[in-house]
Amino acid sequence: MITLGSQGKNTFLEDVNVKSGANVLECYQCGKCVGTCPVSQYMDFPPREIMQMIKLGLRNECYMANSHWFCLTCSACSGRCPREIDIPAVMEAVRHLAIDENYINDSKKVREIRKFHEIFLDMIKRYGRNYELRMMAEFNIRTRNLFKDMHLAPKALLKGKIPLGVKPLKSAKAIKRMFAIAEKLEKNK
Amino acid sequence: MARVGVFVCFCGANIADYVDVPQVVEEVKRIREVKFATEYKYMCSDPGQGMIRDAIVQHKLTSIVVAACSPRMHEKTFRKALSDAGMNPYLLEVANIREHSSWVHQKDKKAATSKAMDLCRMAVAKSIANEQLHEISVPVTKRALVIGGGIAGIQAALDIADARIPVVLVERSPSIGGKMAQLDETFPTLDCAQCILTPKMVDVASHPYIELIPYSEVIELQGFVGNYKVKIRKKASYVNFKTCTGCGACWQKCPVKVPNEYNMGIDKRKAIYTPFPQAVPNKPVIDAEHCTMLLKGKCGICAKVCEKGSIDYTMQDEIIEREIGAVVVATGYDMWDPAPYEEYGVGRFKDIITSLEFERMVSANGPTNGVPVRPSDGKVPKNVVFIKCVGSRDEAKGIEYCSKICCMYTTKHTILLHHKVHDSHAYVFYMDIRAAGKGYEEFVKKAQVDTGTTYLRGRVSKIYRKGDKLMVRGEDAQIGQVVEVEADLVVLATAVSAPKDNPELARMLGISYDKYGYLSEAHPKLRPVETAKAGIFLAGCTQAPKDIPETVSQASACAAKVCGLFAGDTMKKDPMVSTISNEYCSGCQNCVKVCPYGAIVTDEVPIGYGSKELRTVAKINEGVCQGCGSCVAICRSTAITLAGFTDPQIINEIVSI
Repeated sequence: MITLGSQGKNTFLEDVNVKSGANVLECYQCGKCVGTCPVSQYMDFPPREIMQMIKLGLRNECYMANSHWFCLTCSACSGRCPREIDIPAVMEAVRHLAIDENYINDSKKVREIRKFHEIFLDMIKRYGRNYELRMMAEFNIRTRNLFKDMHLAPKALLKGKIPLGVKPLKSAKAIKRMFAIAEKLEKNK
Repeated sequence: MARVGVFVCFCGANIADYVDVPQVVEEVKRIREVKFATEYKYMCSDPGQGMIRDAIVQHKLTSIVVAACSPRMHEKTFRKALSDAGMNPYLLEVANIREHSSWVHQKDKKAATSKAMDLCRMAVAKSIANEQLHEISVPVTKRALVIGGGIAGIQAALDIADARIPVVLVERSPSIGGKMAQLDETFPTLDCAQCILTPKMVDVASHPYIELIPYSEVIELQGFVGNYKVKIRKKASYVNFKTCTGCGACWQKCPVKVPNEYNMGIDKRKAIYTPFPQAVPNKPVIDAEHCTMLLKGKCGICAKVCEKGSIDYTMQDEIIEREIGAVVVATGYDMWDPAPYEEYGVGRFKDIITSLEFERMVSANGPTNGVPVRPSDGKVPKNVVFIKCVGSRDEAKGIEYCSKICCMYTTKHTILLHHKVHDSHAYVFYMDIRAAGKGYEEFVKKAQVDTGTTYLRGRVSKIYRKGDKLMVRGEDAQIGQVVEVEADLVVLATAVSAPKDNPELARMLGISYDKYGYLSEAHPKLRPVETAKAGIFLAGCTQAPKDIPETVSQASACAAKVCGLFAGDTMKKDPMVSTISNEYCSGCQNCVKVCPYGAIVTDEVPIGYGSKELRTVAKINEGVCQGCGSCVAICRSTAITLAGFTDPQIINEIVSI
């Protein structure tokens, strides 16, 4: 059961609104986002419920949900939202807040998703772009599932879907600088 | 010989889907007197009426049968078509093959067709005996009575009076203004209710065509449209309004304190009082139930302090009579009493109030100077829970219908709460948000987004006390979980209910009311302000719950209807009335007893030609007679004939099947 009214101001709503630039109060619970979302059936709370939980200030319940980790930021929801709320930005904000406060769903799926994010960012940092082959290898190694999706490899390789090498971008240095600045900002926060 | 024309209507698919219309036409063509018969998709449309007009001229028809919908729907339309073709309109007969056949026999087309044929044969047979009839002219008293001085009555009275028609406005309480005078601001524009209402109240008092009779009740209505006589009981106010200046010395000195109805009992008024400072008329009355002078003969302070000597403890109720031509009923509504909601602790917990109590608190001229407070300890509440549909849409404890205004006034209350107490938070438990109206949805958005009101979808299941807080428990269906809100104050959006005196009033006026006590309109869509009784109209919540814009529109519509009724010096009336033959009348007076309209009186006529001896016979006032036929049926000497339903006509109908 949820108790409301005793915690004073809804700081969670304010945090999410500031971080996302959206106004969650705009949501009138129509549920069009849920019908649109390609992964809503895998989430433990679909986007509409996440929006209501933010409105009610249910910070911990929201952090512990897997919804914002499953969100693909494909923006189909916000494209169809009648109140034009940037729902992926809200999901992103919840993700960031959850990391900041170290309050993260510890299920296997979420751990894998987080690893995927880390590896992806690492690829960008190194090469300025994604290096698919290495990314896949690293993901399989770090999730201790070496042969995951291996049966697809020959076909994909033959079709040239997975290049064997990677051409670093001309602007790779600039990207590295970007990362440095971001990390510095993060430290000074 | 009669030459009858028969016109059978498809009514789009309403009739044609279940009745074989061409077959009906073929069947009626076989009747000897039928000289012309045809069918059409929409007989009531202009081309359809054109067919009737043309056929009358072309085939020299002497009576017309239209087989279509109920005569209540289009009898007038087709009568007009007959007049346009130069024919007496009462030579029309309508066979109702829609309500009486196609709609009720949708599963059996053959039977429906055969019944439609019978109905047509009967109508043809009757029409053969139809006679030319002529409208009756009745003189009109051009004065209107408005019952109730809320916003509906005020608007109706002003609109009628502006057309230079005298109006008698009767209000039960000491001041006009009604429920609207108790409101703070109004949705969705947040206009101050006082600012938009009080000027109208002043207009009523000063209008040369309005006679305002406050603190009075209508006790009897006699007569018929255009010629009513009304009896009004003026309750004893014990104050001479002619000399009273409204200075206020009396109520300042009065020692008796009584719960103030205007402020929902939150504070006290005196036994001699005006309901509120902006009252119209702004003259006090003495509350006879509480005044110690009137009860025990002790006190008399008000009379002593009154410089004008306006106090008169011997004053009695007075009955006054007025002749009027039309009535507008605008008796408003009652707030539903939430006592059955025991699970909410109504009556046990002081900090549960009704929406009208909240309205008084946030009102600038209210008992708490516009700041809501907890009745228990007088503290300003921080968390306020509003519960909608208390009594509405609740078949078990309340009423089935939606009260229509609660969604919007609750939205308004959350905004007003935020205006008055900036660090407060409003929670609303709701089942649906019904915001159908100009600017209403935007208003709800304003509450949800700008004010930050939290809407929780569910009916509250129970309220219990925890310390000095109230715990309000219900489901939030939006996340499918049980929620509890720790509340300082709970406001119940209680349902709108019909005034409890409405049934009595309706019986006195001779109009009908529904199972809830709301007065019934003549047709829910096409005659929404008329009643079934000619000359009586409805405005405002007395007909059904509605908000201020709708009430005002309906009141203006009533005014238009009254003005239309009074447009000529005389009024036209259907000639379907009874007549009595003195030769046959035995004077038994059974007809006098059965007449529901009081249209039959007794008369004295000579026993024989030239005789001086008199005998009693019945006499019909054709202005009052509504043509119901009760007298015809009861008359044992067959002295009474009802025009349009004569014996030959009825016998023809029976013989034809």
